[in-house]
Amino acid sequence: MKKKSAFGYVTLTAALSILLVACGGKSDTSKNTSSTTTKSVSFATAYKSDKAAIKGGTMKIGVAIDQPFKGVFSEQYYDDAYDADFMGPAAESLFSTDSEFKFTNDGAASIKFDNDAKTATIKIKDNVKWSDGQPVTAKDYEFAYEQVANKDSDTSRLTGALLNLEGLEEYNAGKSDKISGLEMPDGENGKTVVLHFKEMKPGFTQSGNGYFLESAAPYHYLKDVAFKDMVKSDKIRKHPLFFGPFAISKIVAGQSVEFTPNKYYYKGVAKLDKITMEVVSTSTAAAALKNHKYDTVLKMPTTTYDNWKKVPGYVNLGKEELYYSYMGFKLGKFDKKKNINVMDKNAKMNNKSLRQAMAYALNEDEVNNKFYAGGLRTTANTLIPPIFGKFHSNAKGYTLNLDKANKLLDKAGYKKGKDGYRTDPDGKKLTINFAAMSGSEAAEAIAQNNIQQWKKIGLRVQLTSGRLLDFNNFYDKVQNDTKDVDVFTGAWGVSSEPSPADLYSAAAPYNFSRFVSDENTKLLDDIDSEASLDEAHRVEAFKKWQDYALDQAYVVPLQYSMTVSPVNKRVKNYNVSYGSEGTQWQDIQLTADSPATK
Amino acid sequence: MWKTILRRFLVMIPQLILLSVMVFVLAKMMPGDPFTGLITPQTDPAHIAQLRAQAGLNDPWWTQYFRWVANLFQGDMGQSYAFKRPVTGLIGDRAVNTFWLSLVTLIVAYTVAIPLGVIAGRFEDSMRDKVIQVYTFVLLAVPSFVFLLFALLLFGYVLEWFPTSGYVSLEADPGTFGYFLSRIQHILLPAITAGLLSTSGTIQYLRAGVIDNTNEDFVRTARSKGVPERVVFSKHILRNSLLPIAAFMGNSITGLLGGSIFVETIFSYQGMGQLFISSIGTRDYSVITALTLLFGFLTLLGNLLSDIIMSIVDPRIRVE
Repeated sequence: MKKKSAFGYVTLTAALSILLVACGGKSDTSKNTSSTTTKSVSFATAYKSDKAAIKGGTMKIGVAIDQPFKGVFSEQYYDDAYDADFMGPAAESLFSTDSEFKFTNDGAASIKFDNDAKTATIKIKDNVKWSDGQPVTAKDYEFAYEQVANKDSDTSRLTGALLNLEGLEEYNAGKSDKISGLEMPDGENGKTVVLHFKEMKPGFTQSGNGYFLESAAPYHYLKDVAFKDMVKSDKIRKHPLFFGPFAISKIVAGQSVEFTPNKYYYKGVAKLDKITMEVVSTSTAAAALKNHKYDTVLKMPTTTYDNWKKVPGYVNLGKEELYYSYMGFKLGKFDKKKNINVMDKNAKMNNKSLRQAMAYALNEDEVNNKFYAGGLRTTANTLIPPIFGKFHSNAKGYTLNLDKANKLLDKAGYKKGKDGYRTDPDGKKLTINFAAMSGSEAAEAIAQNNIQQWKKIGLRVQLTSGRLLDFNNFYDKVQNDTKDVDVFTGAWGVSSEPSPADLYSAAAPYNFSRFVSDENTKLLDDIDSEASLDEAHRVEAFKKWQDYALDQAYVVPLQYSMTVSPVNKRVKNYNVSYGSEGTQWQDIQLTADSPATK
Repeated sequence: MWKTILRRFLVMIPQLILLSVMVFVLAKMMPGDPFTGLITPQTDPAHIAQLRAQAGLNDPWWTQYFRWVANLFQGDMGQSYAFKRPVTGLIGDRAVNTFWLSLVTLIVAYTVAIPLGVIAGRFEDSMRDKVIQVYTFVLLAVPSFVFLLFALLLFGYVLEWFPTSGYVSLEADPGTFGYFLSRIQHILLPAITAGLLSTSGTIQYLRAGVIDNTNEDFVRTARSKGVPERVVFSKHILRNSLLPIAAFMGNSITGLLGGSIFVETIFSYQGMGQLFISSIGTRDYSVITALTLLFGFLTLLGNLLSDIIMSIVDPRIRVE
């Protein structure tokens, strides 16, 4: 469940940014997962309050968005990251994880893998109950699979990775009523599920791997609803049922949600009386903080960080996001019939020196300082963000070096003409088309900055279509490999399982640069190979691929990002870390009746 | 009169058909589709392609169009891709919110604008007139979102007289009197500010009308006949000056459902304006077409209403 709000940070208008979100389980921002070694600016992940807690109390949470939330309160159906925020205190993942997103088996269920038998055995704890008092059973887990895979179900959650489960494809096609690879040895009301996989993957031990579901759905509650009506039903929209620390007790559609403790929560009843969560417009979120209207505001706009970084009564807690932005080079096309990326030898950008030179010409440090206050963005060195700990390589990456860029181009035969611009090695005029997305106020300035940087090394770069492209237009062009895109800048929100295969393998449609090489395939395969079931091997494989990708520079990492939440000092035990260290909603307490003002 | 109305309604039919075709085609021509926004490394392109095919987005536009029309006649405007719920319910919810907000806005606008316009016109060049003139120019000059934000910060956050976001408080239970009160409370601030913002035009029209009519021959005649000044003003000047306002009345009434993106965004008030803009951003075709058609129909209806109102208040232009 940790596919994270992917492009939430891609700089789009607030309205658009919602689209770009998490299409995986719930966002871990709120609950699961790991503490991180912050390499950029360091923010505390928790605030320690020594004051005595009051009894009960209501915690008020604002969520900064400029439109109503969609209100799909189901881990199997929601597409919008904000919906994940709005069910945060209620929806809990079955599995707990450690600091690096590895399963730890102290959550609602445990999972054990048998690589020889190709199975995973899931055991749900006996005392785990839905907030109506019914126990969470094996059937509830199977039901979550049915919601995702039933052919009548309206969900975008079914992936090729999930089909690694035996029989899921047949179930999805309607050829069988049951998922043959999902076995319940103690029956539907039992607590054990055995999953039979076609292949065991090294990523299995990592949450967010996408190969199996990490959530359950209340079968007893939803069994009367037809799959085709499920996502529209009041049982998901108005009265959803979860087994997490809080239960959703009231919903004002699109606007606010009220949570009260789940009396049957397996780790003990929550200490707060209530949590309220409501939409606050991004333009007034800072004012709301200054007015002490909320105990915390989620998704505070980072572009206005200077405005709200020092509000009396609040501390800023931060962590690194599962995110990186990048610059990609178009090197070929995706063959839709054969579902494979095909490189074009004659592509304009099919010259390693040219790509490297363009990367060396960028002044990312300066851009980050100028446009992202307080060090919330840092220059990226590799395509695996540092949050993945040992999987992240310390390779140097690309930093500003115009000399080196010029030398690379000279050596590769890109000669400077009288007008100061270089020609291609054949002596023909070289004009590079650069696709950049509109959205944030800084987008235009950053795009122009990049063009100026490239001009400094004699490259004539122009914006695709002569202007910034809106989100839809941008991906339309990039996905369909239109001729007017040679280089493009985008961003990915990544899953908490770091395997890059979905984004860079020969068969991956999201390998937008269309780069393919035997070496690349070999290195990527190694990361997800059987040999990598041994972690040390996998760590090594990750490093090798990162080095190779950096050298080939078909996609150049640009930025990593921090997320910061202001939290009022009256809130006790709030923690923004990933993993079990992060906020345990049931433990949250308040130390005063109203938010602290200093 | 009735014949005219009937005829106008009949003319609307081809207009709406033309509008719907254009909207449909233009919407499909925009780059991207409702599923473009779903790309993340975790979503499966093959599955997205399957969803796209299921939604019929691969069919030629005319096939899609006729399917849509057929459904429309059964009262089914389709599903919103972004909200995953039927469009009719979605628009219905928003329309109710927008309607009440706009109604109060309209009432505020007219109750403020009409007296001010009349005073400004009647006492042309007096101190009162000048003050009112300054007021209208300031309101015209200030960008609306600045005015709205300022009002929200002052009255919502500093003075705390009004709630700062949403259309109803979480504590209120639907169906109770408290719920009703809470809704009014949430409407007041956005309605008053938006109402004030829209007064400038009306004040200016009215002022100009009053000044012009004061110099008309029929006014001089009435005065020379010895008609009391009060009657001259209310019967001859005011009534004639209100004509241009009446001409807009029809569109103001049907415009109640249009919504305003600024007001709705700043006050986090869920309404039609935002729904329309966000549906374009997410390429939520079913919502885009439904809303455009609705707005188109309302505009035509508004024009018709205006003509009817005009023919009632101004016998000179009554058509047969």
